[in-house]
Amino acid sequence: MNLTIIILILIFSLSCFFFGKTKVSNKIKISRGKLNSLPKYYGYYLAAWCGLPALLILILWTFSELYFVKFIILSDFKADPTIDENKLNLIFTEIVSIAEKKFSGQIPQNLIPYAERFLSLKYIFELSKLAVIFSTILFSIFFSYEQILKNIKAKESVEKIIKSVMFCCAAIAIFTTFGIVLSLLFESIKFFTVVPIFDFLSGTNWSPGRAFIRDASTEIADVENVFGAVPLFWGTFFIAAIAMCVAIPIGLFSGIYMAEYASRKVRKIVKPLIEVLAGIPTVVYGFFAALTVGPFFRTLGEIIGLEVSSESALAAGIVMGVMIIPYVSSLTDDVINAVPLSLREGSFSLGATKSETTKKVILPAALPGIVGAILLAVSRAVGETMIVVMAAGLGASLTINPLEASTTITTQIVTILVGEQSFDDPKTQAAFALGITLFFFTLIINIIALQTVKKFREQYE
Amino acid sequence: MNSKQKEILMRKRYSAEKRFKFFGIFSISLAILFLCILLFNIFTSGLSAFFKTKLILKINFDEKKLGINMNTPDEAIKASNFNEILQDALLNLDLLAPDLKKIELIDIVSIDATYELKRFYLQNKDQLNKIVEISLTLSDDLDQLYKGNFPRDIPEDRRRFSDFQLKVFDEQNSQNKIITEFNFSFFKNADSREPELAGIGASLIGSLLTILVCLILSFPIGFLAAIYLEEFAPKNKITEIIEINVNNLAAVPSIVFGLLGLGVFLNYFYLPRSTPLVGGLVLALMTLPRIIIPCRAALKAVSPSIREGALALGASKVQAVMHNVVPLALPGTLSGTIIGLSQALGETAPLILIGMVAFINVVPTYPIDPSAVLPVQVYLWSESAERGFVEKTSATIIILIFFLVLMNSSAIYLRNKFEKKWS
Amino acid sequence: MINEKIKISTKNLNVFYASKQALFDININLKENKVTALIGPSGCGKSTFIRCLNRMNDVIDICKVEGSIKIDGDEINKKNLDVNLIREKVGMVFQKPNPFPKSIYDNVAYGPRIHGLAENRESLDNIVENSLKKAALWDEVKDRLNQPGTGLSGGQQQRLCIARTISINPEVILMDEPCSALDPIATAKIEELIDELKETYTIVIVTHSMSQAARVSNDTGFFHLGKILEFNSTEKIFKNPDNKLTQDYITGRFG
Repeated sequence: MNLTIIILILIFSLSCFFFGKTKVSNKIKISRGKLNSLPKYYGYYLAAWCGLPALLILILWTFSELYFVKFIILSDFKADPTIDENKLNLIFTEIVSIAEKKFSGQIPQNLIPYAERFLSLKYIFELSKLAVIFSTILFSIFFSYEQILKNIKAKESVEKIIKSVMFCCAAIAIFTTFGIVLSLLFESIKFFTVVPIFDFLSGTNWSPGRAFIRDASTEIADVENVFGAVPLFWGTFFIAAIAMCVAIPIGLFSGIYMAEYASRKVRKIVKPLIEVLAGIPTVVYGFFAALTVGPFFRTLGEIIGLEVSSESALAAGIVMGVMIIPYVSSLTDDVINAVPLSLREGSFSLGATKSETTKKVILPAALPGIVGAILLAVSRAVGETMIVVMAAGLGASLTINPLEASTTITTQIVTILVGEQSFDDPKTQAAFALGITLFFFTLIINIIALQTVKKFREQYE
Repeated sequence: MNSKQKEILMRKRYSAEKRFKFFGIFSISLAILFLCILLFNIFTSGLSAFFKTKLILKINFDEKKLGINMNTPDEAIKASNFNEILQDALLNLDLLAPDLKKIELIDIVSIDATYELKRFYLQNKDQLNKIVEISLTLSDDLDQLYKGNFPRDIPEDRRRFSDFQLKVFDEQNSQNKIITEFNFSFFKNADSREPELAGIGASLIGSLLTILVCLILSFPIGFLAAIYLEEFAPKNKITEIIEINVNNLAAVPSIVFGLLGLGVFLNYFYLPRSTPLVGGLVLALMTLPRIIIPCRAALKAVSPSIREGALALGASKVQAVMHNVVPLALPGTLSGTIIGLSQALGETAPLILIGMVAFINVVPTYPIDPSAVLPVQVYLWSESAERGFVEKTSATIIILIFFLVLMNSSAIYLRNKFEKKWS
Repeated sequence: MINEKIKISTKNLNVFYASKQALFDININLKENKVTALIGPSGCGKSTFIRCLNRMNDVIDICKVEGSIKIDGDEINKKNLDVNLIREKVGMVFQKPNPFPKSIYDNVAYGPRIHGLAENRESLDNIVENSLKKAALWDEVKDRLNQPGTGLSGGQQQRLCIARTISINPEVILMDEPCSALDPIATAKIEELIDELKETYTIVIVTHSMSQAARVSNDTGFFHLGKILEFNSTEKIFKNPDNKLTQDYITGRFG
């Protein structure tokens, strides 16, 4: 349906373009003598006015349609004070699935008329969408045609339109951030009305499965002391720390070697080769960690008489560290290359060796950039999901033994949200609360890291 | 300081130098070694999935047992039961088998074998009432055994095939009745609970559709945004905020985009779950900053003299940029876009959150059909207990890596072409 | 003139950047405890030449140096020679002041530290103080030795670099246009300093400024297109050059 409308709008726009380019500009030429712009700009002008408003309306309409349908249908239920918002959502979902004939199980008879109403409303909405869009097209063509006949400066107008469209594209970045913050905040606030934020941030017991026990006798779920996120924060920190223990030394030394020692030829081969590590999908690392590295550590542990669980923080952390190596090494390489040659020459001219120059002159000069690189790597490690989901385990505990299973924020988000979920459940909302914690934490690291790197670059530019 | 002390000091300094250099070489070798182990591991365990093991059986297409004749229409043939002739053929493998073992005999082939027979018959109707040798897919456990992925010398109760099945299998093998052929169905089939039937057809199409949606949305928007930010944006607060947003979004964990998709697209806008449409939408938002940043770099690389040249001829800023700068920056922007898309292709976590982990056993055709994608398929299969899925997972990874290599090498090709023009 | 000892001598020195030849058969003798100025138009190979004298050209991958360079009669342009020992003996001051991003003290102490010249903190302090005094910077910075060297003015930075160079007690100091990034007052100070330093060190200075060459040097060499056209005492070169091109360059007809 929407696709047909889009194609129709495009056809209209295209014909407007040719209409404007030939017919209209000729007409203006006859009536006013001279054109203000090239004929094609009149075509562009008409086409833009024909297509853009219609497309905008189409998008807005499509996205908000269901929202209004829902509002109208549920208006009947709202009178009933015993039905809260969560229940309303549930009812609506049922109505939709009845209407789309996807309902499984016994169909509640009282909802059937609503399902019929839903279908007819949808039909009406679709029809009125068509009507609105095509009247918009007609109206805006008429309007822009009038404008053109006044022999406006079509080129400038078209360029203004182009610039505004570009601005809207750029502004999507802002909307995305807004969307993230709002959607996370919206669910999190619901969660924090049930579970106090302090309990969430300082509780040490994480077992959301228990909050799920919600039988008829206890209408309110037991949410006390099951949403303490400290073990998750610890697990996240712990695994990220293991990863950084692998990534920082290897990445740093690789970066230094590539920047200071490697010949151009070696660098040309080695650098992309190491960067391949960053290009491999994380799910592949997860598979590798769970099926090869984990069991390898367990067998190794058995040989030396240590008990290693097959899903261990160590396996996940080490594999994650390997994944992060290129983030550290490439940025280190770039940053060291940005240090001016004159500093190196100054040091060499005093008879210093390469390693002395690197350790005592280059690294101190490049330090802010390297710190920025490491911070970005930390943010990557904290937000990494698949490796920990597949290899780190699920049990939330405050362990400092890297050989035991450990769980992270991202793992819990995935575990909670896999499969069907209902939004009125504190467990689902908890995932969003974890999400917003993760978002703000990485945001802060990123901002600090990006600022440090930026300052470093400005210093030597 | 005398010359002896000096010599000692110099020796110390040079051994420090050597040590430092060694650390560098050691680190690089370690990183590359790990890459090799990873790839070697995946390839050795995955290659066997591209082949499947079959058993050649003598099948008697008995008219009576099938309940059909030469004139039976195709519809009726499809509805008829080929199980009986298959069972007869299988029981013929060991006529002395006690009743209790008969079920084990029947289990030697895959549950798909009767459909294979049916498909064969539909194409060769003249074989009615004849005895024909047909190769049929072996059951997964014996398939794994034949490929050497499963050791035969472990106790019977710890493996998924019996000693009896093993004996029959060995007999057939010594008569050269076990053959290997290229596993086309792996590329055609959708997911299945039976490892020997499971394929990546559905997730391959799903991935293509998702990336297509992602491309359609993210490339034009990202490209235009990059042009705006690099060429037209005035130096003011709004521009600054946009730039900070773009840079930060590029470093936001991908799972957060999944939460956005779940919270907004599914919960609020009621877009269809588990579909390439929503997947592409989420990935597009994630990819957008990763496209904008390299696109801006490509635009920046075009020398300002070209803009000035056009402006000096009286072209407007828009004309100068669109006619002169954009064509020159195009290869660079395309290579950035391809790399952004290749990251999106390997992305898993956000797609799991929007429900693309559902078990999909039909190949999707439209972006609004529920579907799986390659990386999620890897995740799903790696969680399965059956041994047969291990090689399938590795094989899926090989296909995934194949596409990534393809995309990245085309990006590198474009970039090299671009660099040549400007050096 | 009596007692003029040759410090550095080059024979058939050829330098190539990849396939492009930058210096052609340079034969030159530099005297001990004298200032030798090298002049010539841009790109004539002056800097390339003095970078050969402490093997700084090794830093550039594509650069190849052929021929013989002798310091005190010892060949330095051979493969398995320890370049760091040569650089300890032959210091260098660069065109743009390049203090390390460290404190003033650490800048000067860097060389003595890596070469193990100071036994204890006290003697290191002494070396730093003496070097800064010799570079005529001590009075200006003695109260802020812990502040970063990059915070000094351009002229002070260049004197800091000179102090850094003399801190390891070299025998030769190479100066590659040391004043080109400085204002006249700072330049005058550096020139004064050069005059004092020649008592202890052999100095080779590359300069663009004719007047500077005339003011500070005892000998002058004129480079043109990678060849040394004339090498003689400064007086002779500026008053009565043998070569027509030298005459033209000195009088400002090209360059």
